[in-house]
Parts: sequence; C-alpha cells; structure tokens
Amino acid sequence: MIKVEGLTRVYGTFTAVDDVSFTAEAGKVTGFLGPNGAGKSTTMRIMVGLTNPTRGRATIDGSLYADLPNPGRHVGVLLDASAQHDGRTGREVLTLAAMTMGLPKSRVDEMLELVSLTPSEAKRRIKNYSLGMKQRLGIAHALIGDPKVLILDEPANGLDPAGIRWMRGLLKEYADRGGTVLLSSHLLHEVEQIADELILIGNGRIVAEGTKDTILASQGTAGQSLVTSLDNEALTVALKAKGYSVEPVGTGMRVSAAPAEVGRAALESNVVLTDLRDGGAGLEDIFLQLTAETQRENVAQIHAEGVSA
Amino acid sequence: MSAVSVAPSTPLPAVTKVPFGRLLLVEWRKMTDTRAGRALLIISAGMLLLFMGIVVLVAALNDNFSIGLSAWSSILTIPLSLLTPVLAIMIVTQEWGQRTNMVTFSLEPSRLRVMAAKLVAVVAFALALIVVALLCGIVGNALAAAVGGYDASWSIDGQALGWGIAQQLLYFVSAFGIAMCLLSTPFSIVVVYVDQLLLPLMVWSTLYFIFDWAADVIPFIDMGYAMSPFSGAGAMMPDGSQLPDPGTQEVLALICSIVLWVVVPVALGAYRVLKSEVK
Repeated sequence: MIKVEGLTRVYGTFTAVDDVSFTAEAGKVTGFLGPNGAGKSTTMRIMVGLTNPTRGRATIDGSLYADLPNPGRHVGVLLDASAQHDGRTGREVLTLAAMTMGLPKSRVDEMLELVSLTPSEAKRRIKNYSLGMKQRLGIAHALIGDPKVLILDEPANGLDPAGIRWMRGLLKEYADRGGTVLLSSHLLHEVEQIADELILIGNGRIVAEGTKDTILASQGTAGQSLVTSLDNEALTVALKAKGYSVEPVGTGMRVSAAPAEVGRAALESNVVLTDLRDGGAGLEDIFLQLTAETQRENVAQIHAEGVSA
Repeated sequence: MSAVSVAPSTPLPAVTKVPFGRLLLVEWRKMTDTRAGRALLIISAGMLLLFMGIVVLVAALNDNFSIGLSAWSSILTIPLSLLTPVLAIMIVTQEWGQRTNMVTFSLEPSRLRVMAAKLVAVVAFALALIVVALLCGIVGNALAAAVGGYDASWSIDGQALGWGIAQQLLYFVSAFGIAMCLLSTPFSIVVVYVDQLLLPLMVWSTLYFIFDWAADVIPFIDMGYAMSPFSGAGAMMPDGSQLPDPGTQEVLALICSIVLWVVVPVALGAYRVLKSEVK
C-alpha cells in the first residue's frame, strides 16, 4: 500500500505538487493520470526518495522509502526506462540489480524470459535498444526483486499494441496476487482499461479520484443522447414537444434526454432510428475538462468546437 | 506471451539490508562493464607498456645509460597520474551523465553509502594499478639491465615510494571530490587536469622562478609542492634550491593544501550529492 499525505513540492515560486494526498491499495491497480507537467513524475520521485518533499510525506506499507531494508526487494521502481547506461547490455543492467539485491543469477534469465527479451537482444547494448525494448527491460528491472509494490512512470510509453496488452495482463496478474500497482500515464485509454482506481492530477493538484464510474457520476453529465434518424425534423418536433432541447450535430442531433426517452419519442412519432447512443461526457471529456487549465492547448475550446461541428 | 509468471520460480533469499561489501562489488563491476571503462583500462595498460618500452629502448641504444628500480617506479607513475583521475571522475559523473543514479539511489537510498562504496572501490582499483605499475617496473628494470648490459640496481627509496603512492591517492581522492562537486565528466576532467598538471607545470613553476614569495605561498595551495620536502624529491625543485628540512611551515603547508584540494571538495561534493534532486 502506498500512502501519500499532504505532499507538496515547491521550486522557487512554482508549485509542482500541491498538497497531494491519496492511497494506492494492495491488490489494486491505481492509475495516476494527468497531462504533461502535471506533477506525476515529481510525486513518484518523492515516493522513492529521489526528490525531497517541501511538505508532507509518502509511505510504503507504513514506512518511508529510505527506511526500507533493501528497497528493491519491496518496491519495484521504473521512473524512466531511458535512464540506463548506453554502453551496458540489457543483461548487465539486470545483473547489477540482482547483485545489489542479493539475488541468484538465475533470476536475471527468468526476468528476461518474462519480458520476452531474447538472449541475443539481452547481449546488445542499451544504445541499440528501441524505446519499447528499454521499457521491457525497465519492467524486468522493477520486477526482479519480486516486490510487493510497483511504481511505474509511463510504463506503456513506446510499447507496441501487443506489448501494451501484455503489460496489462502482467500488471493485472501482479495485483491479483495482492501486489500494489501505481502507474502513471498521460494517455487515458491506456489506464482506463487496467486501473481499478483512478487519480486525476492537473497543475499539481488532485482534481478527481475514485473508480471510473464514481468519477463519471460525480461530474453529473448523464442525461444526454446523440441520435440520428431517417426523419430528423419529425423527431425534433416530437422531442421539443416533450420539452427537451435539441441541437443539430453533424448528420444527427444532440438531445438533452436519456437514450430511453429519445427512443420512446421516436416510437410514438413512428420515426426510424439509425443511431442512438449515450451522449454524456466520457471519462476523456471529464479528464480534459478537469485538467483544462494545465493543458498546453486550450482543449476546452477545441473540444467545444469539435462537439458543435 | 505472458505464459511466464511474475512470481519467482524458486523462493528468493530473505530480505536484509544491502551489505556494504555487495555495494562495493557492484561499484567495482560498474567500472569495467562499459566500453568506456574497458577502454580506459586498456589505455592505462598500453601507456604502462609504452613507457616501459621507451625506457628499455633507450637502455638498449645508449651505452652510458643505466636506470635503477627507484627511477623506474617514478617513471611509471606518470601514465598512472595521467589516467587514473579519469577513473575516479567517471565512477561519479557517469551516474549523473547517464542518469543511472535514479536506479542506483532507488536500490540503495543512503547516498553516502553508495558514494563511500564508490570511493573504496576506485581507491582499491588505483592501488591495484600502482601494484601493476611496480611489477612492470621490476620487469622493466631486469629487461633494461639485460639489453643495456649493466648490473640492475634493485635499491629503492622506501620514503620516496611511500610519499609517491600517498600523493597519487590524494590526487585521486581530490579528483573524486571535484567530480562530486561538479557532477559533470568534461568539467571535472578540465578542473582536475588544470589543478593537477597544468598549474604545477606551467604556472607555479614560473612563479617559483620569478618571485621570492612564491616558494612560501605555493606549497600552501598545491599538494605536489607541499609534499616534495617530505618525499625527498627536493632535488627536482624548479629553482634548484637545496631541499629544506620539513619543519612546522612545511607541515602546515601540507595540511593546508590537503584540506584545500581533498577535504573541501569531498565535503562540498558529498553535500551536493546528498541534497541534490535526482532526476
């Protein structure tokens, strides 16, 4: 279990992490989501003692990272897959880790096999690795000590779709065995499918947390539908008669009613529907909306235009 | 693809604090497991052989030339003093340059223990190189005597040798401290070479000739000059003056120069390594 309490990190006048508190529980995958520069990496570096917090603290199963005996055996850390010596081979990187942690050499081969790095790839220098290969090596490095907790910063970065699916299965299995997984990403889709809990961070602050459903519910965007029919005019009239607002969107319309209500109106007015779906904001909309201030582009505006187009 | 399980196939050993000896072995290995590290070792070995070869060649070609073990040992320290500071620098700065410090310090959060392991590993390495150089000196001495047709002199000035080794090690630790202060390979190499080679050879020696006060001041700011009265290398004094007997002033100068170039850089560097953010 990872517990973060009132964590704050200030650089001069810039507050990178602002009073962040959350818990990543054992047996669950916790997704740490936020746009670039939101404070994800800084928070993770503080957790493992590489950066000192200005205020607050982060504990792993009740103790500070620095107080863990042989921390590699307790926490698997992957902060930056590229932070390895270019001149070392993949096998050598794992061997050094195994030596430090006091593990048998056989563990190195086991890990190479786990992340599907072939013996010939393991003999190559990191310089000649693709980002995806470095990422696999980084995951092997994090798992080699059979830790109880995993802290992974953007682990899917550079992995191909098959690799991402593989990693998902791996982390799922790891959490099912009772492990704690905290993984960060700036890509919602990546995390949405694997994380049991989500923590959304923007501008160094937590903007939302919980399961996907509780976040969606808390933002109250239900009761919107997108509909297309063979007779849009007739349907518009029927819907407006029921007191719903209708606005044209592309070839269809956006209606301020749940899909069931729209379907009922279509049935009553004998209009054939060709498309009807929930028009409520998805997690992505909420994510963009909540972190809008910290986005480099004015996505709120782009998004609004995209919907009305 | 994920047929292989995350769980270890055989139970792993119990979790205990990482012992210092293990850190030491890891740091030792890190010096030689990269191409740059290996290249440096090969160059060091090559330089030792080159210097040996030159001296043996001179002995073979020059009838009046003879050289004893003492001279051999001082000749062969030249390539070492040129190259080994780079080892001391790289073992530190490489971690920052390649950003492996993120891994190193997350596997052992006590940064002082890691730096201590590095220092012990690299000093042990330097001592091993010095032993190799001395062995080369013994072989070279026999070889030069054989090809030069004279009787080999095996006498060696223990005091000079001891001070010579001490000086090498102090320069070495100084380079290590400077590297911790700067945390950059090129900057550290420049500063160390300017301090250990350029200033003594080009600047201090010139000042020595021109100004009377230089003889009093320079030993306080340069370890080589501070040590020469003790090592008996006084005959090499640039102004040709008689070797002074080491007195209070010489002892003070030695302490002052060591504080300036070893204690201060190591203390400041350790502080920087402890306090800096690793990213």
